[in-house]
Amino acid sequence: VFEPSKGKKMFETAFAQLRTAASIALGIRFSPRALERLVDAARATQQEFGTISLDSAEMLAPPTLDEETRRDLQLRRFRKQAKLALETPYYRTLFERLHLHPEHLCWEDIQNIPLTPKTDLRNDSDAFVRQAAQPYLRTTTTGTTGRITSIYFSQHEVRVMVALSALGFLTNRLLSSADLVQINTSSRAALGNLGLSGACFHIGATVFLAGIVPPQQTLALLSEEHHLPGKKPKVSAISIYPSYLGELVETGLRLGYRPSDFGLEKVFVGGEIVTAGLKERARHVFGNVAIHGDYAMTETLPFGGQLCSQGHLHFEPSLGLMEVINPETGQTAKPGEFGTIVVTPFPPYRETTILVRYNTEDLVYPLAGPMTCEKQALPATTNLLGKLRLSVRHERGWIFPRQILEALEAIEEVPLPARCGFWPTQDGVAVEVVTRADNARVRAKIERSLGDQGVPVRELYLVSDPAQLQSPYPLRCDLKESVFGNPSTLVKTNSPAIPSLADKREKE
Amino acid sequence: MIVVFALSVMTVLLGSFYFQKFSVKRPPIGVFNLADLVVMMVMIILLPYLYIWLPSWVAAGIWVVEILAILYITFEPVMRARWTIGLLSLLLTGAEVALSSWVTGKTMSLYFMLVNDLVLMLAIAGVTNLWVQSGMKARDVAILGGFLTIYDLVATSVMTLTDDLIRQTVGYPFTPMIIWPVGSEGHWFGIGLGDLLNATVFPMAMRKAFGSRAGLAAMVLTLGAVALVMTLPLTKTFPVMVVLGPLMIVHYLYWYRRSGQERTLGQFAVYSNAGAG
Repeated sequence: VFEPSKGKKMFETAFAQLRTAASIALGIRFSPRALERLVDAARATQQEFGTISLDSAEMLAPPTLDEETRRDLQLRRFRKQAKLALETPYYRTLFERLHLHPEHLCWEDIQNIPLTPKTDLRNDSDAFVRQAAQPYLRTTTTGTTGRITSIYFSQHEVRVMVALSALGFLTNRLLSSADLVQINTSSRAALGNLGLSGACFHIGATVFLAGIVPPQQTLALLSEEHHLPGKKPKVSAISIYPSYLGELVETGLRLGYRPSDFGLEKVFVGGEIVTAGLKERARHVFGNVAIHGDYAMTETLPFGGQLCSQGHLHFEPSLGLMEVINPETGQTAKPGEFGTIVVTPFPPYRETTILVRYNTEDLVYPLAGPMTCEKQALPATTNLLGKLRLSVRHERGWIFPRQILEALEAIEEVPLPARCGFWPTQDGVAVEVVTRADNARVRAKIERSLGDQGVPVRELYLVSDPAQLQSPYPLRCDLKESVFGNPSTLVKTNSPAIPSLADKREKE
Repeated sequence: MIVVFALSVMTVLLGSFYFQKFSVKRPPIGVFNLADLVVMMVMIILLPYLYIWLPSWVAAGIWVVEILAILYITFEPVMRARWTIGLLSLLLTGAEVALSSWVTGKTMSLYFMLVNDLVLMLAIAGVTNLWVQSGMKARDVAILGGFLTIYDLVATSVMTLTDDLIRQTVGYPFTPMIIWPVGSEGHWFGIGLGDLLNATVFPMAMRKAFGSRAGLAAMVLTLGAVALVMTLPLTKTFPVMVVLGPLMIVHYLYWYRRSGQERTLGQFAVYSNAGAG
């Protein structure tokens, strides 16, 4: 799948730029060779100049479009995607039933295409694969909803995604060949892991798939000193679930780790809600690290949302159509109404598993009024509120996971990640949470924090053991992988990190 | 002759001054490398034939576009307002075209030579900076010098290509030489664009690769070679690169053996900022 390109001459780079720009602007199939040539050129640029100009990211970005052009482009790409969808058993049946003709679709028709529910994809993922496709990779979701969902990708798609990912990391100055990258996500998140490790392959960064192992083992790996030529001395970037990052913070503080024990510069988080409290508390252990948390999901990759400095989630219109649909009315959410993100990934990015109006079940509010952020030209929503099925409706409205998690993870007395549960009660919600102590002060602090987030708490249960939770909120850090023997013994055997930390503290 | 040498010295100094003070706007992705050098060599071989073969108005048109673009790139980091950059570039190219024999129908005037020399000096400073600031290595410049040694010998002394090209282009817009009148009317003395490009780019590339001492030595060496050639009792066109090229190779090899490897532009910037460039 990965073919490092050999040349990086400027003339060839210029041609590769034109070829890639044609795919982005016109929706024609990508040339993986041209993309890889660009990655190679970007890497050579970084090596020669020590840094890469931010103009390069701008140069490779799709053009900024006005509203009318954007709608026109999206309609054309939607029709193209719908045409491809006709080659799948699921959509062929659906379109025949609705008498839909992809080439004549208008915006009104699109609104009338039923949303594709997650359950349909989960129950028969093969029905979403084009007949002419050549599936190479079957990747699955981690199954936080109970059952896993399969998505297929061709070799071409994977190669393009890996190259695009490498280009993104390079041109946004997120990774370089000097980086040591550790991946602490589930091994089942194949595409994400493949995307990052493939990007590292192109960039020349050293990558290590550590998995979701006991946190003390991960901390030992992060603090381990290396002497690799041309590389940073410690792990400099990590890809991790927010809840597992919370576990690292909690364990790190308990074991006495300090920022000087690590060389971490960038943390890539995803797959769960990232709270301000988690970011703040992570800095107590890891120092002033940059925490990057964009929105992506296996089913719709590479289409996803990018967070701006004002916390909006922006979606690139040439990659796919993003709609916010009110789950109660089934119509486009109006300003002030929340809705689920509904996504149609566009060609040329997807050619194997085809999805049209896929209901992600991720909740957001659409943004009303003009934006003033640096990505104002791109359609946007608020940051994620959480999954629809994990949100609760009480008599006076809805409570979303983000409100609960933001409130709880901001409080030091709540160990990270916040292990909690919540359910509707009369006129509000009941919240249960694991805390370090159960006393009136902690209780008042939690109630105040929840109140600040607009949560009408009617019952509050503080527990000391996660096993005592009645309705625990699912966390990806619980997708632990088994290790041989006692993790601390294993760490001591394989790595000098923990003993050296103890020695260091003793000396101090 | 003295004026032409003085103009050559000014060109080399202008290139180095520009390198020290300004960052030319280079392509955001891509580094100049050996493959680009090969393309450049092929162009060097083909272009003279193309200029001789093409109708003069087509060749002049190509030059106008090229020089306009080069002047714009050169002025871009120096001036802020885009309109002043555009206006100055247009004025210079316009003056060059208006004063050329192509328009006036007369032999080259002193004014034409002045404008032509000024435009070429600026263009050489811009182009050489674009090369080096795009990552062209001292190794690449030395290889180019080696290639041009053979090419210049063949094109000038074995064939009549250089003389044919001079006959075809002299007095026309953007005559590819820095020239000055000598003796009786219609006589002039000049140094070729290619020779000056090499004499200018080499000290810059050597400074980037091995430090200011290597750069300064390269400047003394290249200008010394130019001065040496100019003092020769010449009666016909002389291939300057035959002297300049081997000196460039020897100088590069000396510093390469001494330093082990070339610095990247990133490393050069670090040293320069620390005042040890």
